[in-house]
Amino acid sequence: MMLDRARLGSHALLIGVCALTILPFWWMLSTSFKPANAVFDLDPVPAAPTLQNYAHMWIAIPMGSMLLNTFFNAGLLMVGQVVVATLAAYAFARWRFRGDNLLLVLFVGTWLVPFQVTMLPNYVVLSRLGWLDTLAALVVPHLGSAFAIVLLRQFMKGFPLELIEAARLDGANSWATLWRVVLPNLRAPLAALAILSFISTWNEYFWPLLVTSRPEHTVVQVGLQMFLSSEGEQWGPLMAAATVATVPVLGVYMLFQRHVVEAFVRSGLR
Amino acid sequence: MEPYLYLVPAIVLTGTWVYWPMVRTLQLSFYEWNLLPTREPLWLGVSNYAQLLRQPEVPRAIVNTLLYVVGLLPFTIALPVVLALALNLIRGRMAGFYRAIIFLPVLMAPVVSAIVWKWIMNPDSGILNAVLEAVGIGAVDWFRTPNLALWAIAIITGWKLLGFSTLIVSAGLTAIHREYLEAAVIDGASSWQRMLYVVTPLLSPTLVFMLLLTVLLSGQLTFPIINALTQGGPRDATTNVYYLLWQFGFESFNVGLSSAAGVLFFGVFLVVAVGLLRLAERLSFYDA
Repeated sequence: MMLDRARLGSHALLIGVCALTILPFWWMLSTSFKPANAVFDLDPVPAAPTLQNYAHMWIAIPMGSMLLNTFFNAGLLMVGQVVVATLAAYAFARWRFRGDNLLLVLFVGTWLVPFQVTMLPNYVVLSRLGWLDTLAALVVPHLGSAFAIVLLRQFMKGFPLELIEAARLDGANSWATLWRVVLPNLRAPLAALAILSFISTWNEYFWPLLVTSRPEHTVVQVGLQMFLSSEGEQWGPLMAAATVATVPVLGVYMLFQRHVVEAFVRSGLR
Repeated sequence: MEPYLYLVPAIVLTGTWVYWPMVRTLQLSFYEWNLLPTREPLWLGVSNYAQLLRQPEVPRAIVNTLLYVVGLLPFTIALPVVLALALNLIRGRMAGFYRAIIFLPVLMAPVVSAIVWKWIMNPDSGILNAVLEAVGIGAVDWFRTPNLALWAIAIITGWKLLGFSTLIVSAGLTAIHREYLEAAVIDGASSWQRMLYVVTPLLSPTLVFMLLLTVLLSGQLTFPIINALTQGGPRDATTNVYYLLWQFGFESFNVGLSSAAGVLFFGVFLVVAVGLLRLAERLSFYDA
């Protein structure tokens, strides 16, 4: 009896919180399909849905190239971070060597360093290299991900050493062992990591804001901010642009929900 | 030799883009420089630090940084505990469904969240103000009212954090021995309070971890929202220490001052982080 009442209360609470969670998503979508004369109506569903906001937004900002830039940025970093972290994690998991603990602490320590503390010197370096407004400026400084190294090391530590030993006795060198024995067994954490990396890069705002300035060279998040400040409060087209910037991430979430959630929880939001 | 070969890319990248720039920031904090490649940085000694402490915005930014932490704690600790307990009572499919929904805002980009909430909280035609008017409170200009703007930004950031925090607390809850929880439920499931009193001490390591995240990350997580919505205004009402640092560097082009602020604030955050980590260790005896 008592338990049932507590359960009922829990459902009520959670339904309320879920409604507040969904509201902004729904309002974004709903507004994006409303014609200009209906944007200020409070209809929950557009009475006469239209794509004119999408058309307007697509012409007002170079959305196509921004999406492409964002896609390449997120894709390259996804592959790059996983590769760099796999190699490093393998070294930590397989061998004990001089300075291994110190190195690990130094990698983990980067989690504590706020981006704002390193941004100026990094900006200066990129500008001297002439990399500003290029994909390289977006990608290269973020290739080393402390979280990725720590996560993969954890999974590799759990890997049965006998298998590695067996491969060694078979004459496989460490490189072949990594590819043929270790990695095929780490598909789940690798996938989780790749997805997390893709989503966080896709949503990244400040670094691209710093190192890109021309609309056709920037990413979609910065484009949105430019659109907001240039067009002011054109809510219909703005919501259309916001929807386009969000759909890829939601798509990834729907396809790989469990991986996404687990990876985010482990990452501590960095 | 072999392990070092595998570590070369990670070491080079971390050294180049994290540790070396940290050294450079420390170094630049003793110079005057305006980012122009044609100008040589000028040695100043510690006067950037002295100037920093005299900046009128600095006390405001420090207070705001603390207020943001206060504004976020309901979303990173209080509500997540309640929601995690509720999810724990329900379990099964519906719990999974709720969890999946609550997690959604974590995935919405900060800029997108800022823009969508700006529309919802719009003083003339936003849906929130329509509701407030309907219940007789009247329209509120959230982002231009100095006393409200900071809390509006904290709420938006909190909305984004709630799903993540709930999952962390849920994970902490499942790590607690089942019997404690069941005993509490059987003892008096109707009394939320009793549940809270049993569970909170057992959860304390998780809660300290969440406190640590909130303290360390609040400055950074509010950063894009501030930038998109208020640029620190009105009259510095929403700025925080990291936002100030950004303005010193890329709006006033005062590299020395920005670097000094970076060194100082990072130092303080580091001390707080170490303190909280110690606390977390000491509290973990509860569920031994």
